[in-house]
Amino acid sequence: MQFQAFNKILIGDQKLQSYEEAGITLGYQFQIRYPSYRGTFLSCIEKLDIYLDGTLVDPSHIYFCLNGKEYLIEELKDQYKAYWFVLDFATIKVMTDEIPTAGPHDVTVDMYHRIPYAGYNGSYLGLPSKVTKTLIYE
Amino acid sequence: MAKIKLGLTLYSFSSEYINMKLSLEDILKEASEMGYTGIEIIPAQMCPTYPYVTDEWIEELKSLMKKYNLQPVCWSAYLDMGLATGRDLTEDEIIQYTVNDLIYAKKAGFPIVRSQFSITPEIFVKMIPFCKKLDMKLTIELHHPHFPKHPLWQQYVDICRGVGKGVLGIVPDFGIFINTPHKLWCDQALEMGFEPEKFDKLVDLHKAGVSLEDAQAQLSLNDNEKQIAASMYDEFETRCNPEEIKDIIDVAFYMHGKFYYAEEGQNDPSIPYDEILKAVAETDYDGFIACEYEGHHFTDEIPAAQQLGRYVAMCRRIIGDSIVEA
Repeated sequence: MQFQAFNKILIGDQKLQSYEEAGITLGYQFQIRYPSYRGTFLSCIEKLDIYLDGTLVDPSHIYFCLNGKEYLIEELKDQYKAYWFVLDFATIKVMTDEIPTAGPHDVTVDMYHRIPYAGYNGSYLGLPSKVTKTLIYE
Repeated sequence: MAKIKLGLTLYSFSSEYINMKLSLEDILKEASEMGYTGIEIIPAQMCPTYPYVTDEWIEELKSLMKKYNLQPVCWSAYLDMGLATGRDLTEDEIIQYTVNDLIYAKKAGFPIVRSQFSITPEIFVKMIPFCKKLDMKLTIELHHPHFPKHPLWQQYVDICRGVGKGVLGIVPDFGIFINTPHKLWCDQALEMGFEPEKFDKLVDLHKAGVSLEDAQAQLSLNDNEKQIAASMYDEFETRCNPEEIKDIIDVAFYMHGKFYYAEEGQNDPSIPYDEILKAVAETDYDGFIACEYEGHHFTDEIPAAQQLGRYVAMCRRIIGDSIVEA
């Protein structure tokens, strides 16, 4: 019964936006933060599932962007030198042709994260943080 | 008689900080206005480039501390033993992280680094030459669910009294004495669906020393309630007596005045503060107790400043004569 009060910061209040390069729409993007009182290492993100309007997004279509770098979900587990400062937003880019319609959409982030200082000898506390927020696509 | 100074860990303002209502400077300003001088910081919370702390950030922190007439007291480091997937930190990595924190703290003017018990007694001892070279004190936090008579902590105490005397120490966190569920925990249990009448009875049975099994049987709890009840018995089991603080106080360089919810009447029904503080006041402890509000793990709707004000008032009620200005 702890840490759960921080989940409300997981999904940023920014709008759901198109992801464009050179004026070409390549997908959509939104912002997330690490739901805790302190930062963490990306290697501690053990699960990061994204749903748009209840449909699971194929993880291979997701790019996790932080500190000027871009990671596949599959790569996060190896990033133990990459720190996610608690006030910094990471951008979730979803590469897809299925662009959301203008207006409200339910975005769900289902994260499971290891608390690296809580436990030792290979066994650490893990916390679930699952949040759904309605974001406006413009 | 003890000479106790009340300090502040900036961690108390976690809700305000992560909700971006208060910046680091805002919190330091508020700390100063509330009358605090001694400050503890958690770089893993407030330093954007952690675990590598830049000279620029250190200079900014130092200038803010100076601007608000604050005294650096404790640099709260973490040992993130499980940061790499599938393995614990190696000894070399633990030493590297700890040395780095000693260096950063030294440069920022904090005389004490607080680390965690996972450092192991062997590595704790290996840190002595670094502490001596840097003229720094290294401490580990004695945190719930551990307690002074725990065999591992007996080893740590022996090290602090022996080869590490004057350099290695302990930071007892008063959360080790917690024995009753606090208001925020109870609120959360009810939100999770515990039937209120049964919950009140459970709290009474727990307080009366009735076993978990007997309480569960008496109250005919459903599976959800059984799980919460088990959690309550685990988290609020009395593991040590407030008098035991005296057994380790000679190696306590600093202490954490942890609390989750201070009531209006200068009281905390969850942690036996009257007994703890009176016990400390009877010793010759000369140092800081950091006010450490931790209710932010449960709700961000209670202002830390309100809770800290109540906590300080409670401390003054109990041991006003032993509190000195920093």
